[in-house]
Amino acid sequence: MQSRHSRRTFLAIAGGGLAGLAGCLDDTPGGGSGGSDGDTSLSGDGKSDGGDSQAETRLPLREAEVPLSRDLEEYASSAMRGAAKDAIPSIGDPKFGSVSDGNSMMDPGDPVFGVELDGDARAYPQHILVWHEIVNDQFGDRGITVTYCPLTGTAVGFERGPVSFGVSGKLINSNLVMYDRETNTWWPQVLGTGVRDDLIGKALNEVRVTWTTWERWQSVHPETSVLTEDTGYVRNYDDDPYGSYNPRGGYYDSGQLQFNVINRDSRLDPKEVVIGARTADGAMAFHKDRLSEAQLLETTVEGTSYLAAYDPDLHTGYVYRNPDGESYEARSGSFVTPDGTSHQAGALPLEEINAFDAMWFVWAAFYPETTLEE
Amino acid sequence: MLETRTPRLATRVGGRIRSTLSVSRGALGRRDSAFVFVIVTLLYLVTFLWAIGDLSFQSVGTDFFTVSDPYSRALEPAPGAYMHEPVALLDLWVARFLISPVNVALGLGVSLLVGVNLALSYLAVTQPKSCGLGAASGIFAAIPALLAGSACCGPALLVVLGITASSTLLTLFSWLLPIGVGLLLVSLVYVSGQIDPTAV
Repeated sequence: MQSRHSRRTFLAIAGGGLAGLAGCLDDTPGGGSGGSDGDTSLSGDGKSDGGDSQAETRLPLREAEVPLSRDLEEYASSAMRGAAKDAIPSIGDPKFGSVSDGNSMMDPGDPVFGVELDGDARAYPQHILVWHEIVNDQFGDRGITVTYCPLTGTAVGFERGPVSFGVSGKLINSNLVMYDRETNTWWPQVLGTGVRDDLIGKALNEVRVTWTTWERWQSVHPETSVLTEDTGYVRNYDDDPYGSYNPRGGYYDSGQLQFNVINRDSRLDPKEVVIGARTADGAMAFHKDRLSEAQLLETTVEGTSYLAAYDPDLHTGYVYRNPDGESYEARSGSFVTPDGTSHQAGALPLEEINAFDAMWFVWAAFYPETTLEE
Repeated sequence: MLETRTPRLATRVGGRIRSTLSVSRGALGRRDSAFVFVIVTLLYLVTFLWAIGDLSFQSVGTDFFTVSDPYSRALEPAPGAYMHEPVALLDLWVARFLISPVNVALGLGVSLLVGVNLALSYLAVTQPKSCGLGAASGIFAAIPALLAGSACCGPALLVVLGITASSTLLTLFSWLLPIGVGLLLVSLVYVSGQIDPTAV
Protein backbone atom coordinates (compact mmCIF):
# COMPACT_ATOMS: atom_id res chain seq x y z
CA MET A 1 0.00 0.00 0.00
CA GLN A 2 1.34 3.38 -0.91
CA SER A 3 1.56 5.81 1.95
CA ARG A 4 0.17 9.30 1.62
CA HIS A 5 2.38 12.28 2.25
CA SER A 6 0.53 15.38 3.29
CA ARG A 7 1.79 18.85 4.01
CA ARG A 8 1.39 18.14 7.71
CA THR A 9 3.52 15.03 7.36
CA PHE A 10 6.24 17.03 5.74
CA LEU A 11 6.17 19.78 8.25
CA ALA A 12 6.55 17.12 10.91
CA ILE A 13 9.45 15.59 9.03
CA ALA A 14 10.84 19.05 8.68
CA GLY A 15 11.11 19.28 12.46
CA GLY A 16 14.37 17.45 12.00
CA GLY A 17 15.91 20.75 11.03
CA LEU A 18 17.86 22.07 8.16
CA ALA A 19 20.71 19.67 8.16
CA GLY A 20 19.86 18.41 4.72
CA LEU A 21 21.11 21.44 2.87
CA ALA A 22 24.50 21.38 4.46
CA GLY A 23 24.94 17.66 5.01
CA CYS A 24 22.34 15.21 3.87
CA LEU A 25 20.30 12.90 6.02
CA ASP A 26 21.26 10.14 3.70
CA ASP A 27 19.29 6.99 4.21
CA THR A 28 20.80 4.98 1.44
CA PRO A 29 23.19 2.20 2.28
CA GLY A 30 26.60 3.26 1.20
CA GLY A 31 25.30 6.66 0.15
CA GLY A 32 26.38 10.00 1.41
CA SER A 33 26.99 13.55 0.55
CA GLY A 34 29.05 13.75 -2.53
CA GLY A 35 27.74 10.64 -4.18
CA SER A 36 27.71 6.95 -3.65
CA ASP A 37 30.79 4.82 -3.36
CA GLY A 38 29.18 2.49 -5.82
CA ASP A 39 29.27 -0.48 -3.45
CA THR A 40 25.53 -0.53 -2.89
CA SER A 41 24.16 -3.83 -4.03
CA LEU A 42 20.96 -3.63 -6.02
CA SER A 43 18.59 -6.07 -7.52
CA GLY A 44 18.43 -5.97 -11.29
CA ASP A 45 15.84 -3.25 -11.50
CA GLY A 46 17.32 -1.21 -8.73
CA LYS A 47 14.43 -1.99 -6.40
CA SER A 48 14.55 -3.69 -3.05
CA ASP A 49 12.98 -7.09 -2.93
CA GLY A 50 12.45 -7.09 0.80
CA GLY A 51 9.66 -5.70 2.89
CA ASP A 52 10.80 -2.09 2.49
CA SER A 53 8.21 -0.23 0.44
CA GLN A 54 10.84 2.09 -1.00
CA ALA A 55 13.52 1.20 -3.49
CA GLU A 56 17.14 0.98 -2.63
CA THR A 57 18.98 3.47 -4.70
CA ARG A 58 22.40 4.86 -5.17
CA LEU A 59 20.95 8.38 -5.34
CA PRO A 60 22.13 10.52 -2.43
CA LEU A 61 18.84 11.36 -0.75
CA ARG A 62 17.41 12.89 2.38
CA GLU A 63 14.00 13.22 3.93
CA ALA A 64 11.98 15.92 2.24
CA GLU A 65 11.82 19.03 4.35
CA VAL A 66 10.50 21.65 1.99
CA PRO A 67 6.99 22.90 2.71
CA LEU A 68 4.35 21.31 0.53
CA SER A 69 0.89 22.70 0.06
CA ARG A 70 -0.54 19.49 -1.37
CA ASP A 71 -0.26 15.75 -1.20
CA LEU A 72 2.53 14.47 -3.38
CA GLU A 73 0.09 12.25 -5.23
CA GLU A 74 -1.88 15.37 -6.08
CA TYR A 75 1.16 16.88 -7.76
CA ALA A 76 1.67 13.67 -9.70
CA SER A 77 -1.95 13.54 -10.80
CA SER A 78 -1.74 17.11 -12.08
CA ALA A 79 1.12 16.22 -14.44
CA MET A 80 0.62 17.10 -18.08
CA ARG A 81 2.36 15.45 -20.99
CA GLY A 82 4.55 18.00 -22.74
CA ALA A 83 6.56 15.50 -24.77
CA ALA A 84 7.37 11.81 -24.94
CA LYS A 85 9.80 10.40 -22.38
CA ASP A 86 13.37 11.27 -23.40
CA ALA A 87 12.11 13.14 -26.47
CA ILE A 88 14.08 15.99 -24.93
CA PRO A 89 17.40 14.19 -24.62
CA SER A 90 19.54 14.82 -21.56
CA ILE A 91 23.28 15.19 -22.10
CA GLY A 92 25.09 12.19 -20.70
CA ASP A 93 28.61 12.81 -21.91
CA PRO A 94 29.16 16.56 -21.69
CA LYS A 95 32.14 18.04 -23.54
CA PHE A 96 33.70 21.22 -22.21
CA GLY A 97 35.72 23.92 -23.85
CA SER A 98 37.67 27.00 -22.85
CA VAL A 99 36.66 30.63 -22.47
CA SER A 100 37.57 31.25 -26.10
CA ASP A 101 35.17 28.45 -27.12
CA GLY A 102 32.52 30.18 -25.07
CA ASN A 103 33.27 33.52 -26.70
CA SER A 104 32.88 31.99 -30.15
CA MET A 105 29.42 30.62 -29.45
CA MET A 106 27.94 33.28 -27.14
CA ASP A 107 27.46 37.01 -26.88
CA PRO A 108 28.60 38.55 -23.60
CA GLY A 109 25.05 39.07 -22.38
CA ASP A 110 23.82 35.55 -23.13
CA PRO A 111 22.64 33.65 -20.06
CA VAL A 112 24.65 30.82 -18.57
CA PHE A 113 24.15 28.65 -15.52
CA GLY A 114 27.29 28.56 -13.45
CA VAL A 115 28.41 25.87 -11.03
CA GLU A 116 31.49 26.09 -8.89
CA LEU A 117 32.47 23.07 -6.83
CA ASP A 118 35.79 22.54 -5.12
CA GLY A 119 37.37 25.28 -7.21
CA ASP A 120 36.12 23.85 -10.50
CA ALA A 121 33.97 26.41 -12.30
CA ARG A 122 31.78 25.40 -15.23
CA ALA A 123 29.32 27.35 -17.33
CA TYR A 124 26.29 25.71 -18.92
CA PRO A 125 24.95 27.95 -21.70
CA GLN A 126 21.20 28.47 -21.67
CA HIS A 127 21.07 28.18 -25.46
CA ILE A 128 22.27 24.57 -25.18
CA LEU A 129 20.27 23.54 -22.14
CA VAL A 130 17.06 24.85 -23.64
CA TRP A 131 17.25 21.82 -25.96
CA HIS A 132 18.34 19.26 -23.36
CA GLU A 133 17.23 20.51 -19.93
CA ILE A 134 19.47 18.06 -18.07
CA VAL A 135 23.23 17.56 -18.04
CA ASN A 136 24.51 14.53 -16.14
CA ASP A 137 27.93 15.78 -15.20
CA GLN A 138 30.84 14.69 -13.06
CA PHE A 139 32.94 16.92 -10.79
CA GLY A 140 35.81 14.69 -9.76
CA ASP A 141 34.11 11.82 -7.96
CA ARG A 142 30.89 13.77 -7.48
CA GLY A 143 28.05 13.03 -9.84
CA ILE A 144 26.14 16.26 -10.38
CA THR A 145 23.12 16.87 -12.56
CA VAL A 146 22.49 20.40 -13.77
CA THR A 147 18.90 20.99 -14.77
CA TYR A 148 17.09 23.81 -16.51
CA CYS A 149 13.41 24.27 -17.20
CA PRO A 150 12.81 26.89 -19.92
CA LEU A 151 9.10 27.19 -19.17
CA THR A 152 9.65 28.21 -15.55
CA GLY A 153 13.07 29.86 -15.83
CA THR A 154 14.62 27.65 -13.17
CA ALA A 155 18.12 26.17 -13.07
CA VAL A 156 18.84 23.82 -10.19
CA GLY A 157 21.68 21.42 -9.50
CA PHE A 158 21.39 18.08 -7.71
CA GLU A 159 23.72 15.43 -6.38
CA ARG A 160 23.11 12.29 -8.42
CA GLY A 161 25.75 9.83 -7.25
CA PRO A 162 26.28 7.37 -10.11
CA VAL A 163 22.64 7.59 -11.24
CA SER A 164 21.68 9.62 -14.29
CA PHE A 165 18.51 11.60 -14.88
CA GLY A 166 16.33 11.97 -17.95
CA VAL A 167 13.47 14.20 -19.04
CA SER A 168 10.16 12.43 -18.36
CA GLY A 169 8.26 14.69 -20.75
CA LYS A 170 5.78 15.44 -17.97
CA LEU A 171 5.19 18.88 -16.58
CA ILE A 172 3.86 19.79 -13.15
CA ASN A 173 2.98 23.46 -12.80
CA SER A 174 4.71 23.89 -16.18
CA ASN A 175 7.89 22.68 -14.51
CA LEU A 176 10.29 20.01 -15.76
CA VAL A 177 9.69 16.58 -14.23
CA MET A 178 12.90 14.59 -14.22
CA TYR A 179 13.08 10.86 -13.75
CA ASP A 180 16.01 8.91 -12.42
CA ARG A 181 17.20 6.01 -14.54
CA GLU A 182 17.50 3.69 -11.58
CA THR A 183 14.00 3.68 -10.07
CA ASN A 184 12.04 5.74 -12.62
CA THR A 185 10.80 8.00 -9.84
CA TRP A 186 9.40 11.37 -10.93
CA TRP A 187 11.24 14.40 -9.58
CA PRO A 188 9.71 17.83 -10.28
CA GLN A 189 12.68 20.15 -10.55
CA VAL A 190 11.42 22.94 -8.28
CA LEU A 191 10.35 20.55 -5.52
CA GLY A 192 13.41 18.32 -5.84
CA THR A 193 11.24 15.72 -4.16
CA GLY A 194 9.97 12.39 -5.47
CA VAL A 195 6.26 12.61 -6.19
CA ARG A 196 5.55 9.19 -7.63
CA ASP A 197 6.77 5.64 -7.45
CA ASP A 198 9.25 4.16 -5.06
CA LEU A 199 11.07 7.19 -3.76
CA ILE A 200 8.02 9.32 -3.10
CA GLY A 201 8.71 11.77 -0.31
CA LYS A 202 12.48 11.56 -0.59
CA ALA A 203 14.41 14.66 -1.56
CA LEU A 204 17.48 15.19 -3.69
CA ASN A 205 20.45 17.10 -2.34
CA GLU A 206 20.70 20.43 -4.11
CA VAL A 207 23.76 22.10 -5.53
CA ARG A 208 23.86 25.83 -6.11
CA VAL A 209 23.50 26.91 -9.72
CA THR A 210 23.95 30.59 -10.50
CA TRP A 211 21.92 32.15 -13.30
CA THR A 212 24.07 34.89 -14.75
CA THR A 213 25.53 36.04 -18.06
CA TRP A 214 28.53 34.65 -19.87
CA GLU A 215 30.34 37.97 -19.49
CA ARG A 216 29.79 38.12 -15.73
CA TRP A 217 30.62 34.46 -15.14
CA GLN A 218 33.91 34.53 -17.00
CA SER A 219 34.96 37.78 -15.34
CA VAL A 220 34.48 36.19 -11.90
CA HIS A 221 35.81 32.78 -13.03
CA PRO A 222 38.41 33.49 -15.75
CA GLU A 223 39.52 29.84 -15.75
CA THR A 224 36.02 28.50 -16.22
CA SER A 225 35.25 25.73 -18.64
CA VAL A 226 32.10 25.88 -20.71
CA LEU A 227 29.76 23.23 -22.03
CA THR A 228 30.09 23.01 -25.81
CA GLU A 229 27.56 22.31 -28.52
CA ASP A 230 29.22 18.94 -29.11
CA THR A 231 26.37 17.17 -27.32
CA GLY A 232 26.01 14.13 -29.56
CA TYR A 233 22.68 15.48 -30.82
CA VAL A 234 21.72 17.56 -33.83
CA ARG A 235 19.97 20.74 -32.80
CA ASN A 236 19.73 24.28 -34.09
CA TYR A 237 21.53 25.83 -31.15
CA ASP A 238 21.25 29.28 -32.75
CA ASP A 239 17.52 29.17 -32.15
CA ASP A 240 15.53 29.18 -28.93
CA PRO A 241 12.10 27.64 -29.51
CA TYR A 242 10.55 29.74 -26.74
CA GLY A 243 11.95 33.21 -27.35
CA SER A 244 15.13 34.98 -26.33
CA TYR A 245 16.87 36.32 -23.23
CA ASN A 246 19.30 38.66 -24.92
CA PRO A 247 17.20 40.73 -25.38
CA ARG A 248 14.31 39.24 -23.48
CA GLY A 249 11.39 38.33 -25.72
CA GLY A 250 8.86 35.72 -26.73
CA TYR A 251 7.53 33.38 -24.06
CA TYR A 252 10.07 34.65 -21.54
CA ASP A 253 8.61 38.12 -21.70
CA SER A 254 4.91 37.48 -22.22
CA GLY A 255 2.23 37.36 -19.56
CA GLN A 256 0.91 34.06 -20.91
CA LEU A 257 1.64 30.62 -19.53
CA GLN A 258 1.93 27.68 -21.87
CA PHE A 259 0.53 25.08 -19.48
CA ASN A 260 -1.97 25.26 -16.66
CA VAL A 261 -0.74 25.55 -13.09
CA ILE A 262 -2.33 24.47 -9.82
CA ASN A 263 -2.26 27.91 -8.20
CA ARG A 264 -2.01 31.45 -9.56
CA ASP A 265 -0.88 34.48 -7.59
CA SER A 266 -1.23 38.05 -8.85
CA ARG A 267 1.18 39.66 -6.42
CA LEU A 268 3.66 39.87 -9.31
CA ASP A 269 3.41 39.43 -13.07
CA PRO A 270 3.83 35.74 -13.94
CA LYS A 271 7.25 36.03 -15.58
CA GLU A 272 8.82 38.40 -13.05
CA VAL A 273 11.97 36.80 -11.69
CA VAL A 274 12.25 36.02 -8.01
CA ILE A 275 15.02 34.40 -6.04
CA GLY A 276 13.32 31.59 -4.22
CA ALA A 277 14.39 29.54 -1.23
CA ARG A 278 12.61 27.16 1.10
CA THR A 279 13.33 25.55 4.42
CA ALA A 280 11.39 23.66 7.03
CA ASP A 281 10.03 27.04 8.13
CA GLY A 282 8.45 27.72 4.77
CA ALA A 283 9.09 29.23 1.37
CA MET A 284 10.31 32.73 0.61
CA ALA A 285 10.78 34.76 -2.54
CA PHE A 286 12.77 37.92 -3.15
CA HIS A 287 11.97 39.99 -6.22
CA LYS A 288 15.27 39.99 -8.09
CA ASP A 289 15.11 43.50 -9.51
CA ARG A 290 14.12 44.87 -6.12
CA LEU A 291 16.99 42.97 -4.50
CA SER A 292 19.47 44.40 -6.98
CA GLU A 293 18.32 47.90 -6.01
CA ALA A 294 18.19 47.34 -2.26
CA GLN A 295 21.26 45.02 -2.10
CA LEU A 296 19.81 43.47 1.03
CA LEU A 297 16.29 42.24 1.75
CA GLU A 298 14.98 40.60 4.88
CA THR A 299 11.98 38.46 5.58
CA THR A 300 10.51 36.44 8.42
CA VAL A 301 9.12 32.95 7.95
CA GLU A 302 7.36 31.28 10.84
CA GLY A 303 9.15 33.59 13.24
CA THR A 304 12.63 32.99 11.83
CA SER A 305 14.55 35.75 10.08
CA TYR A 306 16.12 35.27 6.67
CA LEU A 307 18.01 37.67 4.50
CA ALA A 308 18.95 37.87 0.85
CA ALA A 309 22.23 39.49 -0.19
CA TYR A 310 22.81 40.74 -3.72
CA ASP A 311 25.99 39.96 -5.64
CA PRO A 312 26.46 42.68 -8.28
CA ASP A 313 29.29 40.83 -10.05
CA LEU A 314 27.07 37.91 -10.97
CA HIS A 315 23.70 39.68 -10.66
CA THR A 316 22.48 37.01 -8.29
CA GLY A 317 21.32 36.66 -4.73
CA TYR A 318 22.22 34.47 -1.78
CA VAL A 319 19.76 33.60 0.95
CA TYR A 320 20.74 33.03 4.56
CA ARG A 321 19.02 31.92 7.72
CA ASN A 322 19.50 34.62 10.33
CA PRO A 323 17.99 33.06 13.48
CA ASP A 324 19.34 35.71 15.84
CA GLY A 325 18.10 38.51 13.63
CA GLU A 326 21.56 40.04 13.37
CA SER A 327 21.66 43.36 11.64
CA TYR A 328 23.64 43.54 8.41
CA GLU A 329 24.40 46.60 6.36
CA ALA A 330 25.01 46.73 2.63
CA ARG A 331 27.98 48.93 1.75
CA SER A 332 29.16 49.24 -1.86
CA GLY A 333 28.87 45.58 -2.76
CA SER A 334 29.86 44.23 0.64
CA PHE A 335 27.89 43.36 3.73
CA VAL A 336 29.02 44.54 7.12
CA THR A 337 28.23 42.52 10.24
CA PRO A 338 27.41 44.04 13.62
CA ASP A 339 31.03 43.57 14.69
CA GLY A 340 32.22 45.59 11.72
CA THR A 341 33.64 42.82 9.54
CA SER A 342 32.92 42.94 5.82
CA HIS A 343 31.82 39.99 3.67
CA GLN A 344 30.92 39.32 0.08
CA ALA A 345 27.32 38.43 -0.71
CA GLY A 346 28.18 34.76 -1.18
CA ALA A 347 30.19 34.42 2.03
CA LEU A 348 28.16 35.80 4.92
CA PRO A 349 28.84 34.05 8.25
CA LEU A 350 25.34 32.59 8.36
CA GLU A 351 23.75 29.35 7.26
CA GLU A 352 23.25 29.57 3.52
CA ILE A 353 20.02 28.22 2.06
CA ASN A 354 20.10 27.10 -1.55
CA ALA A 355 18.32 29.67 -3.68
CA PHE A 356 17.63 29.93 -7.37
CA ASP A 357 15.98 32.19 -9.90
CA ALA A 358 12.42 31.34 -10.84
CA MET A 359 9.59 32.90 -12.72
CA TRP A 360 7.12 34.11 -10.10
CA PHE A 361 4.23 32.04 -11.38
CA VAL A 362 5.95 28.71 -10.78
CA TRP A 363 7.18 29.66 -7.34
CA ALA A 364 3.68 30.72 -6.34
CA ALA A 365 2.21 27.61 -7.94
CA PHE A 366 4.34 25.25 -5.87
CA TYR A 367 4.44 27.43 -2.75
CA PRO A 368 1.17 29.38 -2.46
CA GLU A 369 1.99 30.48 1.08
CA THR A 370 5.41 31.87 0.17
CA THR A 371 6.49 35.20 1.55
CA LEU A 372 7.40 37.77 -1.08
CA GLU A 373 9.79 40.66 -0.57
CA GLU A 374 9.49 43.28 -3.25
CA MET B 1 -29.91 -8.87 -47.17
CA LEU B 2 -26.68 -7.90 -45.44
CA GLU B 3 -24.82 -10.52 -47.47
CA THR B 4 -25.87 -8.92 -50.72
CA ARG B 5 -25.21 -5.37 -49.54
CA THR B 6 -21.66 -6.03 -48.35
CA PRO B 7 -20.29 -7.17 -51.72
CA ARG B 8 -22.07 -4.25 -53.37
CA LEU B 9 -20.50 -1.81 -50.91
CA ALA B 10 -17.09 -3.41 -51.37
CA THR B 11 -17.50 -3.19 -55.13
CA ARG B 12 -18.51 0.47 -54.91
CA VAL B 13 -15.62 1.36 -52.60
CA GLY B 14 -13.18 -0.58 -54.78
CA GLY B 15 -14.51 1.16 -57.85
CA ARG B 16 -14.20 4.56 -56.20
CA ILE B 17 -10.61 3.90 -55.15
CA ARG B 18 -9.71 2.71 -58.68
CA SER B 19 -11.41 5.77 -60.10
CA THR B 20 -9.55 8.07 -57.69
CA LEU B 21 -6.22 6.47 -58.61
CA SER B 22 -7.03 6.68 -62.29
CA VAL B 23 -8.05 10.34 -62.13
CA SER B 24 -5.00 11.14 -60.00
CA ARG B 25 -2.69 9.45 -62.51
CA GLY B 26 -4.40 11.32 -65.30
CA ALA B 27 -4.05 14.63 -63.48
CA LEU B 28 -0.34 14.04 -62.96
CA GLY B 29 0.01 13.28 -66.68
CA ARG B 30 -1.24 16.72 -67.66
CA ARG B 31 1.36 19.46 -67.69
CA ASP B 32 -0.74 22.14 -65.95
CA SER B 33 -2.07 20.01 -63.09
CA ALA B 34 1.31 18.27 -62.71
CA PHE B 35 2.86 21.71 -62.28
CA VAL B 36 0.34 22.52 -59.53
CA PHE B 37 1.10 19.16 -57.90
CA VAL B 38 4.89 19.67 -57.87
CA ILE B 39 4.73 23.27 -56.65
CA VAL B 40 2.18 22.57 -53.92
CA THR B 41 4.00 19.43 -52.74
CA LEU B 42 7.33 21.22 -52.53
CA LEU B 43 5.87 24.29 -50.85
CA TYR B 44 4.00 22.20 -48.32
CA LEU B 45 7.05 20.07 -47.55
CA VAL B 46 9.26 23.12 -47.03
CA THR B 47 6.60 24.76 -44.85
CA PHE B 48 6.11 21.56 -42.88
CA LEU B 49 9.84 21.16 -42.20
CA TRP B 50 10.12 24.84 -41.29
CA ALA B 51 7.11 24.64 -38.95
CA ILE B 52 8.55 21.68 -37.03
CA GLY B 53 11.92 23.42 -36.75
CA ASP B 54 13.90 21.05 -38.97
CA LEU B 55 14.44 23.73 -41.59
CA SER B 56 15.42 27.30 -40.84
CA PHE B 57 16.59 30.20 -42.91
CA GLN B 58 19.58 31.98 -41.45
CA SER B 59 23.12 32.90 -42.33
CA VAL B 60 25.11 29.74 -41.55
CA GLY B 61 27.93 29.21 -44.06
CA THR B 62 28.42 25.60 -45.08
CA ASP B 63 28.68 22.54 -42.89
CA PHE B 64 27.63 18.92 -42.75
CA PHE B 65 27.92 16.31 -40.05
CA THR B 66 26.10 13.24 -38.83
CA VAL B 67 25.59 11.73 -35.40
CA SER B 68 27.66 8.72 -34.47
CA ASP B 69 24.83 6.17 -34.64
CA PRO B 70 22.36 7.49 -37.22
CA TYR B 71 20.30 4.32 -37.72
CA SER B 72 19.16 3.90 -34.12
CA ARG B 73 19.02 7.66 -33.52
CA ALA B 74 16.63 8.11 -36.45
CA LEU B 75 14.01 6.06 -34.60
CA GLU B 76 14.25 7.94 -31.30
CA PRO B 77 11.36 10.28 -30.46
CA ALA B 78 11.87 14.03 -30.57
CA PRO B 79 9.72 16.82 -29.11
CA GLY B 80 6.44 17.18 -30.98
CA ALA B 81 3.83 14.60 -31.84
CA TYR B 82 5.15 11.95 -34.26
CA MET B 83 8.50 13.71 -34.53
CA HIS B 84 11.82 11.86 -34.52
CA GLU B 85 15.42 12.73 -33.97
CA PRO B 86 17.54 14.32 -36.70
CA VAL B 87 20.65 12.38 -37.63
CA ALA B 88 22.54 14.99 -39.63
CA LEU B 89 22.93 18.71 -40.04
CA LEU B 90 23.33 20.42 -43.38
CA ASP B 91 24.19 24.12 -43.56
CA LEU B 92 23.90 25.76 -46.97
CA TRP B 93 24.71 29.46 -46.64
CA VAL B 94 21.20 30.68 -45.94
CA ALA B 95 19.44 27.53 -44.79
CA ARG B 96 20.01 25.01 -42.01
CA PHE B 97 18.46 21.58 -42.46
CA LEU B 98 18.30 19.14 -39.55
CA ILE B 99 17.83 15.88 -41.40
CA SER B 100 15.43 13.50 -39.72
CA PRO B 101 14.56 10.66 -42.12
CA VAL B 102 11.28 9.88 -40.33
CA ASN B 103 10.18 13.51 -40.28
CA VAL B 104 11.04 13.92 -43.96
CA ALA B 105 9.11 10.75 -44.85
CA LEU B 106 6.13 11.89 -42.79
CA GLY B 107 6.22 15.38 -44.28
CA LEU B 108 6.62 14.03 -47.78
CA GLY B 109 3.66 11.70 -47.34
CA VAL B 110 1.37 14.51 -46.20
CA SER B 111 2.80 16.85 -48.85
CA LEU B 112 2.05 14.35 -51.64
CA LEU B 113 -1.52 14.03 -50.41
CA VAL B 114 -1.94 17.78 -50.30
CA GLY B 115 -0.29 18.12 -53.72
CA VAL B 116 -2.63 15.61 -55.36
CA ASN B 117 -5.64 17.19 -53.66
CA LEU B 118 -4.76 20.62 -54.93
CA ALA B 119 -3.91 19.34 -58.42
CA LEU B 120 -7.34 17.68 -58.62
CA SER B 121 -9.02 20.77 -57.19
CA TYR B 122 -7.31 22.80 -59.90
CA LEU B 123 -8.66 20.44 -62.54
CA ALA B 124 -12.11 20.45 -61.01
CA VAL B 125 -12.20 24.23 -61.08
CA THR B 126 -10.80 24.63 -64.60
CA GLN B 127 -12.58 21.67 -66.22
CA PRO B 128 -15.66 22.73 -68.20
CA LYS B 129 -17.61 19.69 -67.10
CA SER B 130 -16.89 20.02 -63.42
CA CYS B 131 -20.03 19.54 -61.38
CA GLY B 132 -20.37 22.94 -59.84
CA LEU B 133 -17.03 22.82 -57.99
CA GLY B 134 -15.39 26.11 -57.30
CA ALA B 135 -12.63 27.54 -55.20
CA ALA B 136 -14.32 25.95 -52.19
CA SER B 137 -12.92 22.57 -53.18
CA GLY B 138 -9.40 23.90 -52.78
CA ILE B 139 -10.27 25.23 -49.35
CA PHE B 140 -11.79 21.83 -48.52
CA ALA B 141 -8.39 20.29 -49.16
CA ALA B 142 -6.53 23.05 -47.40
CA ILE B 143 -8.26 22.55 -44.04
CA PRO B 144 -7.05 18.97 -43.47
CA ALA B 145 -3.66 20.02 -44.81
CA LEU B 146 -3.44 22.65 -42.10
CA LEU B 147 -4.64 20.18 -39.48
CA ALA B 148 -2.02 17.64 -40.47
CA GLY B 149 0.69 20.26 -40.58
CA SER B 150 -0.11 21.82 -37.22
CA ALA B 151 -0.11 18.48 -35.40
CA CYS B 152 3.64 18.24 -35.18
CA CYS B 153 4.32 21.82 -34.18
CA GLY B 154 1.35 22.21 -31.87
CA PRO B 155 3.16 23.22 -28.67
CA ALA B 156 5.29 25.72 -30.60
CA LEU B 157 2.10 27.11 -32.09
CA LEU B 158 0.74 27.61 -28.58
CA VAL B 159 3.80 29.66 -27.69
CA VAL B 160 3.37 31.85 -30.73
CA LEU B 161 -0.34 32.33 -30.08
CA GLY B 162 0.12 32.73 -26.34
CA ILE B 163 -2.42 30.04 -25.52
CA THR B 164 -2.31 28.15 -22.23
CA ALA B 165 -2.67 24.46 -22.95
CA SER B 166 -4.89 22.09 -21.07
CA SER B 167 -4.60 18.31 -21.06
CA THR B 168 -7.54 18.16 -23.47
CA LEU B 169 -5.88 20.49 -25.95
CA LEU B 170 -2.64 18.52 -25.82
CA THR B 171 -4.53 15.28 -26.44
CA LEU B 172 -6.27 16.94 -29.36
CA PHE B 173 -2.92 17.87 -30.90
CA SER B 174 -1.84 14.24 -30.91
CA TRP B 175 -4.93 13.42 -33.02
CA LEU B 176 -4.52 16.23 -35.54
CA LEU B 177 -2.18 14.35 -37.87
CA PRO B 178 -4.29 11.18 -38.30
CA ILE B 179 -7.45 13.29 -38.55
CA GLY B 180 -5.79 15.56 -41.13
CA VAL B 181 -4.53 12.64 -43.20
CA GLY B 182 -7.94 10.97 -43.03
CA LEU B 183 -9.67 14.13 -44.21
CA LEU B 184 -7.15 14.54 -47.02
CA LEU B 185 -7.98 11.05 -48.24
CA VAL B 186 -11.72 11.75 -48.04
CA SER B 187 -11.18 15.03 -49.85
CA LEU B 188 -9.15 13.26 -52.55
CA VAL B 189 -11.90 10.74 -53.20
CA TYR B 190 -14.57 13.44 -53.18
CA VAL B 191 -12.83 15.84 -55.56
CA SER B 192 -11.79 13.08 -57.96
CA GLY B 193 -15.44 12.08 -58.16
CA GLN B 194 -16.30 15.51 -59.48
CA ILE B 195 -13.90 15.27 -62.40
CA ASP B 196 -14.77 13.83 -65.77
CA PRO B 197 -12.32 10.92 -66.12
CA THR B 198 -12.42 11.15 -69.89
CA ALA B 199 -11.12 14.70 -69.77
CA VAL B 200 -7.83 13.90 -68.04
